[in-house]
Amino acid sequence: MTTPATRRTPETKVLSLNFGVPDSWTLKVVRERGAYQALEKALKTMTPEQVTAEVKTSRLRGRGGAGFPAGVKWGFVPKSSPKTKYVVCNADESEPGTFKDRYLMELDPHLVLEGCLLAAYAVGASVIYIYVRGEYPLSIARLEGAMAEARAAGLVGANILGSSFSCEAWVHPGAGAYICGEETGMLESLEGKRGHPRIKPPFPAVEGAFASPTLINNVETLAHVPWIVTNGGAAFAKQGIPPDPANPRAVGSSGTKLMGVSGPVRTPGVWEFEFGITLRELIYGYGGGPLPGRTIKAVIPGGISMPVLTDAELDVKMGFDELAKAGSGLGTACAIVMDDTCDMVKACINIAHFFADESCGQCTPCREGCHWLEKIYKRIDAGQGTLADLDLLASLFGNIEGRTICALADAAVWPLRSILKKFRPEFEARLARPVTAVAGQAVMS
Amino acid sequence: MTPPSPSSVPAAPPAAAAVTIDGRAVPFRPGQTVIQAAHAVGIDVPHYCYHPGLSVAGNCRICMVEVEGSSKPQIACKLPCAEGLKIRTQSPLALEARAGVMEMLLVNHPLDCPICDQAGECHLQEYSFAFGQGATRATTEKTHLPKNVPFGAKVVYDAERCIKCTLCVRFVDEIAGTHELAMGGRSDQEIVIMTAKGEFTTPYAMNIIDLCPVGALTSRDFRFKSRLWFMDFTPTLCTGCARGCNVTLGARTGRLMRLEPRFNAEVNRWWMCDPGRLGYGHVNSATRLTAPRVKQPDGSWVEVTVEAALAFAGALLRAARMSGGGMSGGGMSGGGGDVLCDGNLALEELQLAKDLAAALKGQARFAAAVGKDGDSLLIVNEKGANAKGAEALGLARQSAPAPALVLLVEEHDNVGKALRDGSGAKVVFASDATHVPASAEVAFPLPTFAEKDGWLVNVDGHVQALRRSPQTGPQGLTSAVELLDELLTELASPRGGRGLSDVRAELRSLPALAALIWTAVEAPAPAEATT
Repeated sequence: MTTPATRRTPETKVLSLNFGVPDSWTLKVVRERGAYQALEKALKTMTPEQVTAEVKTSRLRGRGGAGFPAGVKWGFVPKSSPKTKYVVCNADESEPGTFKDRYLMELDPHLVLEGCLLAAYAVGASVIYIYVRGEYPLSIARLEGAMAEARAAGLVGANILGSSFSCEAWVHPGAGAYICGEETGMLESLEGKRGHPRIKPPFPAVEGAFASPTLINNVETLAHVPWIVTNGGAAFAKQGIPPDPANPRAVGSSGTKLMGVSGPVRTPGVWEFEFGITLRELIYGYGGGPLPGRTIKAVIPGGISMPVLTDAELDVKMGFDELAKAGSGLGTACAIVMDDTCDMVKACINIAHFFADESCGQCTPCREGCHWLEKIYKRIDAGQGTLADLDLLASLFGNIEGRTICALADAAVWPLRSILKKFRPEFEARLARPVTAVAGQAVMS
Repeated sequence: MTPPSPSSVPAAPPAAAAVTIDGRAVPFRPGQTVIQAAHAVGIDVPHYCYHPGLSVAGNCRICMVEVEGSSKPQIACKLPCAEGLKIRTQSPLALEARAGVMEMLLVNHPLDCPICDQAGECHLQEYSFAFGQGATRATTEKTHLPKNVPFGAKVVYDAERCIKCTLCVRFVDEIAGTHELAMGGRSDQEIVIMTAKGEFTTPYAMNIIDLCPVGALTSRDFRFKSRLWFMDFTPTLCTGCARGCNVTLGARTGRLMRLEPRFNAEVNRWWMCDPGRLGYGHVNSATRLTAPRVKQPDGSWVEVTVEAALAFAGALLRAARMSGGGMSGGGMSGGGGDVLCDGNLALEELQLAKDLAAALKGQARFAAAVGKDGDSLLIVNEKGANAKGAEALGLARQSAPAPALVLLVEEHDNVGKALRDGSGAKVVFASDATHVPASAEVAFPLPTFAEKDGWLVNVDGHVQALRRSPQTGPQGLTSAVELLDELLTELASPRGGRGLSDVRAELRSLPALAALIWTAVEAPAPAEATT
C-alpha cells in the first residue's frame, strides 16, 4: 500500500520560533531574540484599551478548544472594580492526545509569561496564576524558573519596566484531574476546593477567582498576544482563514496554530501552521501517514472530545468553522489517529472510561451516565450485548448531552455518538446475536 | 397590595413583573428564580438538591424545564426570573429530561425500599411514580459504595442510596457553620465524607436527616423502629427550650416515635436542635403515671378513680385552706396555699393554677431551668417552654426551694428534685411517678406536651399551639385543665366550671397578654407536614 501523495505547506513559526534554540527557556537567550519587547512597547506606548483593541482586531480565537474570540472575552472584564483582578492562564493541558501547550511551556516559558503580562495590563489585573497540569513537572519547573528570572529583571512585580503597572505571577500546579481544565473547575481548584465546575452565569470575567473579575485564557491564546502587540492585530488577522461574509457565524480562524498528530502514524509531533491546511495534509504530510501496511480508519481532529472523521473526510481545512461544518470540531487541533487495527468497541470503552473516571461527580447525568455507557460498551465487547443496547446507547447520549453544569458530559457523548453512527456494523457484529450487514436483522442462533 | 385609587391620574399602573409558566402569568420579585416563583403559586417543579434555606447547587438536574428559545432544558433552581421568560414544566422536552434524570438516579441505587426507613417519604419514590419508567433499562452491575457508615452517634450514612445532592454538606457549611461534612471521591465513587473525627460539634446535625431527600442519612434513634404508614403525625411544638420550634410529632401505638422540624418563618425556619429532637424520652417513660393515686396510711400508693382522687384532693385542700397558716410548725410556714408550676405548662393550665392558688389564699409560682447552651441559631438558655407566658400571667419565678401545697411538674427538669422535695406539696400533678415528692398525699397523672392542647409563649412572644397526639402516651388521661377546674369546683371557687375554650377566650381578653404575637394561633392548624 502506498501513502497518498500529500502537499506539505511550509510551517509558519510564530509561537514556535524559539523551539530548538539552545536554552530557549532562559531569559538571556530569548531576550536577545526579542522577548518582552512587546511588553515594553505596550507599557511605554499603548493604553490598556489599545492592547485589547489590537487583540479584538486580530480576531484571535481561544486555543483551548471552544474558539471563543479572545478580544471579546477581554472586553467582558469590568474596567473598574474595587476588587483585585486576576489573569488565570489555563495550562491544565489534560485533553487526551494533546501536547501543544507543553511545548510552549517547556521551550518558551517567557513567551507564555509575556502574554500573561500583556493580558494583565490590558484588563487591569494585578495577579497572574498559571494553572499547570500536575503531570507536567518540566513545564512547572521551566515556568517557575522563567518567573524568577523575570522578577529579578523587573519584568514581574512592582512597577514593571519602570512603568506604573505592577503585577505578580505565580505557578499553581494541579493535582491530576481533567475537570480542572474546565475554567470554573480550575478556579475552584485554584481556591483550594474540589474541582467542581460552577454554574454560569456569573461568568469568570465578572466573578471568577476569589469572587473577583478574572480573565481566563489558554496558554497558546496568551502566547499569541506578544506577536499581535508587536505586529498589530491587522497583520495577525491577515493570516489564516478569513471570515465568511455569507455566514455571520463563521468568524474565521486567524493567525497560526500549533497542530499535533498522535496515534499510529510514522512521525507524530507538533507543528505550527497558518489555519487553512487540511487535516489530510497534517496527518499524511506531517504525521507521515499510517504505519506501513495500515490504513487510517478514523481521526478525532482535536483531542478526544470531538466527533470522529473517517479517512474519506480528511480533506477538511483545519479551522474552527470548517470542522464544525464537517460535523466535528477543531478542539485542541491535536489529532488522534485510529488505524485499521483499532477495535472501535474497545476505543469506545477507552473513551467512556476516561470520561466516567474524570467526571467530577457533581451532576446526575454525567456521574451516573458516563459509567453506565462504559458498562454497556464492556458488555458489547464481551459479546453479551443485544441490539437493544445500541438503542439504549443512543438514548443515553441524549439524556447526558446538554443536561449538566459543564461540557464534560457533552465531550463524552460527541465522540461516542459519532463512532456508533459511523461504525455501527462493528458494534452489530459483536452482539450476542450478531446482525448481518445485509439483512439488518438479528441472526437467529 | 395597594388598592387602586380611582382619583389617581388615569395612567396604567405598572404591571407586576411576571414570567409565563405553563401558559400562566406568574409574578416574581427581583432576584427570584423560576423554581421560587413557581412554588409560590403552587406550580410543582420537582427538586432534590434545591432547598429554599440553602445555597443553590444545581447538581441533581431534576428541576429542568423548557425555556422558550433555548434548545437545551434549563434548571429552574438557578434560572433567574425575567420579564417575558416563557417556561414549560410539562412539555415533552421537560418531561423527557426529568425522566432521564430519574433513570440515571436509579442506575446505581440499591432499590432497597423494603428495608429503607425513608420509604413513604422518599423523593426518589415519589418522583419515580410521577416521572419514572415502569421497566428498568439498567441491567448492568451496580456500583458498590460504603454502607452503614456512622456520622457521629446520631446519624447513619448509606453511600449507595445517596444521590450526592450535597444538601447535608451545605447545611453544615452554611447553617451550622461547623463544616464536618464534605464530598469525597469523584465520578460514581463520589460520596459524602465526615471530615471531623467521630462526632459533630454542631447540636443541629440531625437536620441533615430531614434534608436528605432519600434514605442515605437516617436517624440512629428512629431507624428500623416503624414504617411511616403505621404512624400518625401531629403538628405541634418542641418544649425543650423557650424557642418553641415547630415540629411534626410522629407516633405509633402509644409511643412517640420521632420529632421533626416543621417550617415556621418566624420561629425556627426549617430547623430544630438535636437535644430538642431527642428530648422526648419522658413521654415514653416506663414509669409514667397512668392513673390518679392516693397515699395510704402505711405509705403505700393505691390507684383510684379520677373522681375519688378529686374528692380526696378537694378535702385535703379545703382542710389546708381552713387551717390557713395553722400548718406552721410543720415546716410549712408561709406558702401554705401556694401552687408551684412547671415552666413548661401551657397558658390555660397556668391560668387555672393561678385561680387555684387564689382559692387557696396562696400564690402561683413557676420554675424553669436555665441552661448555658444558648446559641445564635435556635437554642436559648431559658428552658421553660412557656416561661414568657408564665411571666406575662404574673407568676413569679422560683429558683430556690420553698413550700407549696400543690405542685405541677411535667418534664425537662424545670422543677428539679430540690424544688420538688423542698415544696412539701401534698397535691401533686406529675407526668412521671419518679417526680412525685415524698410529701405527696395524692398524685394525678399530668399529660406531657405531646398529649395536650395548649398555648405556649416562646422567647420572642409568639403564642403557639401545642396539639394533642392521639396515639401518644397513656391513653385516656384527663387533661390538667379539666382536673384543675374540677378542683376549683371542689373548693367552691366561683372560677370553677370552665372548659378549655372558656379559658382561651379569657386569655385572649387579658390586657397582660395583649402585647404578645397571636398570629400563629389565629391561623388554621397546619396541614400534616412533610419534610
